[in-house]
Amino acid sequence: MYKAVVIGGSAGSFQVITKILNSLPINFPLPVLLSLHRLKHVRSGFVEALSIKSSIPIVEPYDKENIKPGKGYLAPANYHMYIELNKRIALSTEEPVNHSRPSIDLTFETAAQAYRDKLIGIILSGANRDGANGLKKLKQAGGLAIVQDPNECQVKTMTEASLNLTSVDHIFTTEQIIKFLLNLK
Amino acid sequence: MNRYELGIVDTRNIIKTLQDVYNYDFKNYALTFFKRRVEKIIISKNLKDADGFINKIIAEKDFFEIFLQSICVETTEMFRDPSLWRVLKEEIFPNKIQDSINFKIWFPEVASGEELYSTAIILKKLNLLKNVKFIASSLSDLVIENTQKGIFDAKKIEVNDANYKRIFSEGDLSEFFTQEGEKAFWDTSLIENTKFIKQNIIFDDYPKGVKLVLFRNQMIYFNQILQERYTKINYNGLVPGGYLIVGNNEIIDYWNSDKDFTLINKEESIYKKKLS
Repeated sequence: MYKAVVIGGSAGSFQVITKILNSLPINFPLPVLLSLHRLKHVRSGFVEALSIKSSIPIVEPYDKENIKPGKGYLAPANYHMYIELNKRIALSTEEPVNHSRPSIDLTFETAAQAYRDKLIGIILSGANRDGANGLKKLKQAGGLAIVQDPNECQVKTMTEASLNLTSVDHIFTTEQIIKFLLNLK
Repeated sequence: MNRYELGIVDTRNIIKTLQDVYNYDFKNYALTFFKRRVEKIIISKNLKDADGFINKIIAEKDFFEIFLQSICVETTEMFRDPSLWRVLKEEIFPNKIQDSINFKIWFPEVASGEELYSTAIILKKLNLLKNVKFIASSLSDLVIENTQKGIFDAKKIEVNDANYKRIFSEGDLSEFFTQEGEKAFWDTSLIENTKFIKQNIIFDDYPKGVKLVLFRNQMIYFNQILQERYTKINYNGLVPGGYLIVGNNEIIDYWNSDKDFTLINKEESIYKKKLS
């Protein structure tokens, strides 16, 4: 019944992200939208690193690229990544939000507008409050909100900010997040 | 912080008003982007809601101008993507401009002017500035005014310099600007050879005989219909063999577009107009 998964985190959650991506089967039924804080002037390397052991292809999408199931879309360096109502990616160089471009809030918010209650949002460990507002919007639109267990996070700012703002559906460890995703049809 | 959110019906009403009152057709702008820009103005100008925006824009031409300015998104910094500017500095500019006069470079939306000034600074360093002619278009008169003044935010000096140092091994940008408090000003002699054109969304008049179009990260604010239309205008403005450079996650992909353009540098999104 879900149509997409959107994940937010910072470079510090790299290990968790790769663990999640590496466990998804090649026929994973949903697109995975990734908005991760990263160095703005380092364009290459990140998507390659995420792709090494992932069964599903991970790309930095082109503007207006069609979103397809079983594929990961990583917000490119120094761009915001929006989801248009017609389920296409739209990139933007508008001003940073929460000092961040890509901004997790903006990806979550636009994904929530596009997918409404058919969206799963996951906030991982990170060093600022970005993502908290986006997760709130996602929840308000009827989506399912998941936050990584702060006890598992080296940096808790992002997860705790999200938990303070939204009563989420699940607080999961990495293993539980993976188990949950593998049970989706 | 809670943002005001514009509904789809409100957004359509605003687009219709802009069309009816000012003859600007925004319906092929990317919806998420357009909505967000209007929401920002509604909040920053305390307009409360869509009706507040519509009433003000009908009543005040000056407010419409402010709106147009806000629709033109600033470039994030000077020399965004230094690797592209290295290609321009080391290959394209010396090879193509050295023996030219009036080598025409067009910026279809000059936005914050940073692409224009970046280009001018590199050409100045190469001693090729005298060989080029810049054409800078914009939707907004205010954008054109600010670009002519060379005004920019002093907070950007650091990031601009960092990029500059990824292109040039020596020196910094300080020889090209002066700072006055929170504002800074480019040396406008860099762009004295620039023709500015105020454009509507439909380019009824566009430059011809252009050798290079720099149009990065502006078409991302359009839907695919308008992207194709603009790309064809760029095509028509370019001479055969001329270059079109778009943002590094933009792709030129419309029906038969491979008959119009060849992608010659995938990393930097440099296209070349085919010879015939």
